[in-house]
Amino acid sequence: MSGPWFVETLARNGEVLQRQRVEALPIRFGRGYDNDVILDDDYAAATHAVAELDANGRLVLRDLGSKNGINHRGKRHASLVMTGDTVARIGHTSLRVRPASFQVAPELADRTFHRWEGALPGAAGILLVAIASLFVRWIADSQYFELARYFEALAWGVGAALLWSGAWAFTNRLFGRHARLGRHLFVFGCGLVAILAYALLASVLGYAWSIEAFTHYASHVGMLLLAGMIYFHLCTIRPRHRRRNRWLCAALALLGSGLILVVNVQRSGRFSDELYMWVLLPPELRVSQDHGIDQFMREVDGMKEGLDRSRGRKPGEDEIED
Amino acid sequence: MRPAPLRVACLALLVLGAGALAAFATSAAPAAQRAQAAASAPAALLPPQPPLVIPPAAPPATTPSAPGPGESDDSASLPTPSSAAQQLYSAARPDLLQIRMLLRNGRSQSSVGSGFLVGQSRLVLTNYHVVSQMALDPDVYVGEYVDTDGRSGPVELMAVDVLHDLAVVRVDREGTGFFRVPGHPVRLTQGQYLYSLGNPLDLGFAISEGSYNGVVTRSFYDQLIFTGPINSGMSGGPSVTASGMVAGINVSKRRDGESVSFLVPVKYAQDLLARVASQAHPPRNFNPLIGQQLLAHQREMIDRLLGEPLSVKSMGPYQVPVRESQQLRCWGRSNFRAEAEYTLDSVSCAMEAAIYVSDTQQTGHVSMTHTWLRSSSMHPLQFAALASGQFRVDRIGSARDTRLTRPACSEQFVHTATLPVRAVTCVRAYRKFAGLYNFTLLSASTGDGQSSLQSRLDLAGVSYENGTRATRAFLSALGRSRRR
Repeated sequence: MSGPWFVETLARNGEVLQRQRVEALPIRFGRGYDNDVILDDDYAAATHAVAELDANGRLVLRDLGSKNGINHRGKRHASLVMTGDTVARIGHTSLRVRPASFQVAPELADRTFHRWEGALPGAAGILLVAIASLFVRWIADSQYFELARYFEALAWGVGAALLWSGAWAFTNRLFGRHARLGRHLFVFGCGLVAILAYALLASVLGYAWSIEAFTHYASHVGMLLLAGMIYFHLCTIRPRHRRRNRWLCAALALLGSGLILVVNVQRSGRFSDELYMWVLLPPELRVSQDHGIDQFMREVDGMKEGLDRSRGRKPGEDEIED
Repeated sequence: MRPAPLRVACLALLVLGAGALAAFATSAAPAAQRAQAAASAPAALLPPQPPLVIPPAAPPATTPSAPGPGESDDSASLPTPSSAAQQLYSAARPDLLQIRMLLRNGRSQSSVGSGFLVGQSRLVLTNYHVVSQMALDPDVYVGEYVDTDGRSGPVELMAVDVLHDLAVVRVDREGTGFFRVPGHPVRLTQGQYLYSLGNPLDLGFAISEGSYNGVVTRSFYDQLIFTGPINSGMSGGPSVTASGMVAGINVSKRRDGESVSFLVPVKYAQDLLARVASQAHPPRNFNPLIGQQLLAHQREMIDRLLGEPLSVKSMGPYQVPVRESQQLRCWGRSNFRAEAEYTLDSVSCAMEAAIYVSDTQQTGHVSMTHTWLRSSSMHPLQFAALASGQFRVDRIGSARDTRLTRPACSEQFVHTATLPVRAVTCVRAYRKFAGLYNFTLLSASTGDGQSSLQSRLDLAGVSYENGTRATRAFLSALGRSRRR
């Protein structure tokens, strides 16, 4: 190992805050101006430590009798062997020392689609949000046509998109290098459309085949889609931590679903989001067969037993439906 | 737009509780000035009470000199009407009681009504709703009487008749024999003077004069119409003829009317007194007894509802079942707002009276609503969204109502004889009264993309058999004429 050497002060998350080139050993560390590396740290001594080669040719950081010493992984060391990855803490400063011959990791394959940045995905995101909000406005519109109502819906939708994506872009700028507002707008637009599409799909599937579970538990799929959206936001900020983000978002989805179930049980005594499937669609979308009144009344008769069991219990300990 | 709310008339039971008092204080605000004007002559008598005063009996212009508002009658300058009342009141005084419900812990009063000693016995007749707290929760509430001289003593609940709103309690003193409850029905003629006694608004014992005006047929059980002022706190007090014969027991009044009050006919009191005479000792727990009476009520109610096939009305192409009778009255409604792209018509029928169980629970009630939505200009998807919103009901009754179990629901696509519908039935059981349930049926027609018939049937306090019977009858009668 030979010079030049590079002393790197690190942030808590491992990012390099400052890098200083030192031509030769030994390297002296401390708050005083006679050091090679001057530490602006009130908890470092004037002459705190020195880095030099030991008998075996390893780089060693040695304490020069300071009060706070050299710490590595929570333990104090009088002297510490510095490989290129050893992070030593002097006072409140974390640092490592690397020789010019240090082997860096191979470059990552760049999977970022660089043309899909900036205005283009931003416009696409805004367009998706606009379409979604206009569609929602249109389908719920039972009054005579009035342009102002559609503009209002558009304003709300785009405003919400800018607010949400703006917050993510701010975070992105804080923890990454760029704001990437366009990307975040696009993620929001896609997420919104996916949630809306599932709401429609659940209604159609539930109504057509009389499978009420699709709408009874639609909020959980919505929660999953929301967690997916947050995953893509996080990956936009930190593309390297895909695996960690995946776990984080899975935990978020589980937490959200659990919360929905608890609130539903508390509110209505059942796990499902609604008392019954209230969606009604045009007759062309029906697939399943109608039942007879007798069949329906048999099912109603079947509820008596559970109700009578609940009657004997204290309020709040009823049988949970579904 | 939700299904039309129950159009139950604004019927005020005349028990005086803390909540009731507050309600009166707010509702009587506009009447306060008028009352003050009326009271300006005998100003010394009632200076600080205006918020407690109930709206006066009738507009001054239309009032004949005779009865007048109860409070301003105190002016001793009117000789004719007061002489009979004076004699009656002074004779009745010893047998007139106020009945209070007290919290067992702390003995603070929670509601106040009136009552009277029957003949020379120790029995006191009053309303069920005056003693309901004591009947339902004897561990929490205890009763007490106060007489016109301010003496008080304990009361013991002997019997209740929830359906007619009567109760008999026993006290530790005997009547003088002034209030005679006749063994035979009292014959009254319309317009005959009746005198109503009690302790209005807990202000002091009072007598008010009014006239008998026939039997009301709107309520499920017969009640007499008394055209005279009865106020909260007079519940359970007697209404007597000039000769002192008890004609009825004060029970309620219409808040939306002027001096329209109701009495329980004395024949039901006779039945209840006979029941007390036949029982060896009072029941320990009144809850099963009340449950049995409610069961008897629902049997009668559903038999009357389904005694003959439900009559069928047509709403456009649809045929909808209704029952229109003296007790079950129907009202129609339409959205004639010009700016909507759809038309909504609805008919709702509801019983105007319900059975009072406690101040937060009324039962023994039937209502039905039909809503017909249609549009020729809306896209089928838009119409579907509109119909779905109309069909959506988030909760059936209060979700936090702990006296009922949580609802259990069944939902299916059902085909009646001529109409395919989406049908939902939700049932809740009463915790305190075994065998009683609340049924709700919701249905929406599914056969047409631009027209939707949505119906709702609510049955409160019915047995499971009667609930399913009525639900089936209602659902089966939904139909569509074969024009298309």
